[in-house]
Amino acid sequence: MAKRDIEEINAGSMADIAFLLLIFFLITTTMNLPQVQEERLPQKSEVEFLLNERNVLQIMANKNDKIGIEGEFAKMEDIKDAVKEFYVHDEGTPNQPNYDTLVTIERCKKRLENLQIALAAYPDAAVYKIDEGIWTRRLNACNALIGSGNKGEFSVLPANATVSIQMDNSTKYITYMKVLDQIMQGLNELRNDYSIEKFGIPFSKLNDKVESDKEKIIAIRQVYPKKIMKEKNRSVQ
Amino acid sequence: MSKFSKGKKRKDPAISTAALPDIVFMLLFFFMVTTVFKEKESNKLEIDKVAIKSTIDLEKNIKAAYFWIGRVPGTTDDFRVQLDDDLVNDYSEIKDYLVKLKKNPEFSQVWNNRFFNVFKVDQKTEMRIVRKVHDELKEAEAFKVVYSVNKEK
Repeated sequence: MAKRDIEEINAGSMADIAFLLLIFFLITTTMNLPQVQEERLPQKSEVEFLLNERNVLQIMANKNDKIGIEGEFAKMEDIKDAVKEFYVHDEGTPNQPNYDTLVTIERCKKRLENLQIALAAYPDAAVYKIDEGIWTRRLNACNALIGSGNKGEFSVLPANATVSIQMDNSTKYITYMKVLDQIMQGLNELRNDYSIEKFGIPFSKLNDKVESDKEKIIAIRQVYPKKIMKEKNRSVQ
Repeated sequence: MSKFSKGKKRKDPAISTAALPDIVFMLLFFFMVTTVFKEKESNKLEIDKVAIKSTIDLEKNIKAAYFWIGRVPGTTDDFRVQLDDDLVNDYSEIKDYLVKLKKNPEFSQVWNNRFFNVFKVDQKTEMRIVRKVHDELKEAEAFKVVYSVNKEK
């Protein structure tokens, strides 16, 4: 009997396997982007705003990193609930801001019309331009909220309602970050709930690269805007 | 005489190397995709970062100035600021640096939307130092600040 030569292994399908693995890893691997907390510094101005006491949620930290909310000592975890109550409460609750206006499409349009007239008369008035920007964004938000049984309206806090953070010079940076974290957690929870209610999907799952989602994100940010103000350096008791 | 032939040696077939490039490419792509470029770290200061829950992803393709605030190694309370590659001796250097940066067309074009001041700050830093840096940023009209943090699980 003739000795049989060992046949050469067919390697043709090897490339297929390699590509299959390659594509598998390409799809399943995600890059980790650096994680950050954002803050926008205020414009340098000498003007001190006069604020209505009830329109301000004051959060303080003293030099021993003890937290105070509205002048009372509090725990770090309390900030979240205080922020949520600041944004959402029954109209007329003591020491909480009154809601400014119910934003509706008609009101937005009317306001914009008036502003157009005003701008025609005083084309350089910065106040009108800022107002125009605000009401255009609100109109867009109303339009995004409309549909699926919603009327496309929401109520807003007054323009000067704000969460104020006051830190002592000797407060540690970690305390500041934790306070910012608590505020954002509270705000994110409100935004998530609102998003689920209106669009059936949590705010954090909306993707800003998709055009229709982007509208929703902007709309929800109009309903629950990030309002944080930092007060001037001073020593906190 | 015998039926077994002794002279003819059997040759092993050469192992095919056709698939080798595929394997190499696969490995190459794998490492290309999974590699995370190490975040720029301070070479002069020790920094213990804060971990918080509500973080967001830093945008891609940004222009940035990097600030580190942390301890000089070997000391316990000597907190210093490092801007890009050098330690800051006088806070006014920060403004000068940013004003110079703004003159560069690469930066000035994106100044108001894609330019960020990236802060990496040690947890025990006192706010007075952070504030002084902020004041300089305001002078230079660089208002966007992000704090690099670790994500708390």
